[in-house]
Amino acid sequence: MKTGLLETRGVSKRFGGLKAVDGVDLTLFSGEILGVLGPNGAGKTVFFNLVSGIYEPTEGEIFFKETRIDGYAPHAIAALGIGRTFQIVKPLKSLTVLENVLVSLGVARYGRLSRIWGPFRSARQLDAAMEVLEKVGLAPLAHRKAGLLPLGTLRRLEIARAMVVGHTLILLDESFSGLRHEEIVSLEALIRTIREREGRTIILIEHNMSVTMGLCDRIVVLDHGRKIAEGTPGEIQSNEQVIEAYLGAAGVDHAP
Amino acid sequence: MSSYLITIGTMIAIQAIAVCGLNVIVGFAGQISLGHAAFLGIGAYTAALLATKAGLSFWMALPLVVAVCGSVGLLLGLPSIRLREDFLAITTIGINFIVEAVFRYVPFFGGALGIGGIPRVMFFGMRVKGTSFFLLCVAFLCLTLAACWWFKRSWAGLACAAIGEEEQAASTMGISPVRFKLLAFVIGTGMAGLAGSLYAHHMQFISAGDFSFSVSIALLSMLVLGGMGTLFGPLVGALILGALPEVFRPLVDYRMLFYTVLLLLVIRFQPAGLLGEESALRRILIPFVKGGMR
Repeated sequence: MKTGLLETRGVSKRFGGLKAVDGVDLTLFSGEILGVLGPNGAGKTVFFNLVSGIYEPTEGEIFFKETRIDGYAPHAIAALGIGRTFQIVKPLKSLTVLENVLVSLGVARYGRLSRIWGPFRSARQLDAAMEVLEKVGLAPLAHRKAGLLPLGTLRRLEIARAMVVGHTLILLDESFSGLRHEEIVSLEALIRTIREREGRTIILIEHNMSVTMGLCDRIVVLDHGRKIAEGTPGEIQSNEQVIEAYLGAAGVDHAP
Repeated sequence: MSSYLITIGTMIAIQAIAVCGLNVIVGFAGQISLGHAAFLGIGAYTAALLATKAGLSFWMALPLVVAVCGSVGLLLGLPSIRLREDFLAITTIGINFIVEAVFRYVPFFGGALGIGGIPRVMFFGMRVKGTSFFLLCVAFLCLTLAACWWFKRSWAGLACAAIGEEEQAASTMGISPVRFKLLAFVIGTGMAGLAGSLYAHHMQFISAGDFSFSVSIALLSMLVLGGMGTLFGPLVGALILGALPEVFRPLVDYRMLFYTVLLLLVIRFQPAGLLGEESALRRILIPFVKGGMR
C-alpha cells in the first residue's frame, strides 16, 4: 500500500459535548492539491488546527512522513516543514512586511539555542525574504508596516510566510476569501506555480467553488465534523450527499 | 563634578541597567512584569551575601550574581509564563511581595536590619568610589545597552518580537512561545542582577524596603516614559525620572502627583514613549542620528 505524506487515522476533536471533528481518515499524497470543503461549522478549520498542532486530537493519530505528530506543539510541526495561513489573518502588525517574512525564514533556527544569536538582517536573509516577496507580488510593499495593509495584501503575506515554513506541506485556510476577482486569478496562478515548480503539497479550505474545482486534484467534504465524501472535483460535484449537505435534503417539503 | 551630582548619576546609571533588563521582558518580548524590583533585590542580596559572608570580591561574585538572578528568573518564569497577560501581571506583583517578605523576615538575609558593611568594589588594589564608581556603572550601562542592541538585531530578538505581537502566528513559524519568553526573562533578570550588585556595593547597606513593589512601578514608569522596546528608552526614562526629584526637591511632597501627571500625559500624547515610534522627540532627533535610535 502506498503511504501518504500526511495521514490522519480516526482523528476526532471534542469541545465539551460538541464533536467538531469526528473520526476523519485522510491520506494526502506528495505533490497534490487537496481541497477541504464543507458548510460553515463543518470542522474544516479545527481540522487544520489539529494538523498544525494548535489543538491536540481527542482521539486518533496523525502521521507526517510516517512519523506520528499528533501532540506535537505548533512550533515543532512548523519545524517539520508544515506551514499554514489563518482564516482570520494574523500578521505581526508592528513589523514590516519584510520582517514578517524574515521571522518565518528563521524556522529552522528557533529550536537550537546556538543558532539564534546571529543578526537576522544579513544580506543573504534579506535577499531570501525579498525573493519570497517577489513571488507573492509584495516586493513593493516590503518596508510597509503589516498592520496598515488591506486584507488581500495580508493574505498574500500569510501565504509568503507559509511558503517559507512549509517547504513540504502548506495549509491554506480560506486564503481566497475577501479577495477581488483579479486577486483571486493571480493567487490561483501562484498556487499552481508553487506546486509545479517547487513540488509542494497543498491542502486548502475554500468556499469559492470555481477556485476549488479548478485548482484541486482531489476534494474531501466535511459535514458536522465527518468526512462525507472524497473524490475528484467531478465526482464531488455530482455527489448526492454533498449536494444535500449544502442545499438541504431535497423533495421532503414537496412530498404530496 | 560635585559628589552630589555623582551620587545621583550613579543611581541613574544603575536604574537604567535595571530598566534595560525590564525592557527585554516588557519591550522586546511583550510580557508584562510588575515585579522587576524583586530581581534587583535578589541581585543585591546575593552580591551582599557573597561579599560579606563568603568574602568574594565584586568581580568574582558578579558572574554568580547574574547567574543566580537569571536562574531565579527562569524558575519563577516557568509557571508564570503559561499565564495570560493579566494573570502574569498579578503573578509578578506577587513575586515582588514574596521576595521582599523573605528578605525582611528570614534571619539569613539580615531580617529587618538588612545587610550592612558591604565593601567597596576593588580594582587593582584601589577602592572604586565616587567618580570612578560612577564611571564603572556607566561602563556597565554601556555594556548592557550593547547587549540589548545585539539582542534586538538577533534571531532571538526577532522571535521575541514575534511572540509579543501574535503568539499563535509566531508558533506556526517555528517559535516556541514558552522557550523565548523564558529566554527574555532570564536575560532581563540577569541584567537586574547586575544592577542589584552595583546597587549593593554603591549603598554598602541594603534592606528589603529598597526592593519594594513601588520600586518596580518606578522602573516600569521609566520604561514607559522613555519608550518600551526602544534601545535608549530605558536610559532616557531613568535620566528624567531619576533627575526630576532632585530638580524639584522643594516640591518633594507633590512628587508622586507629579509622576502621575507626567505618566498620564505620556500615555495620552506619546503612548509609545518619548523615543517610541512616531514620537515628537524621535522626529526631532532622527535627522541628527539617522537610524541610530532603532
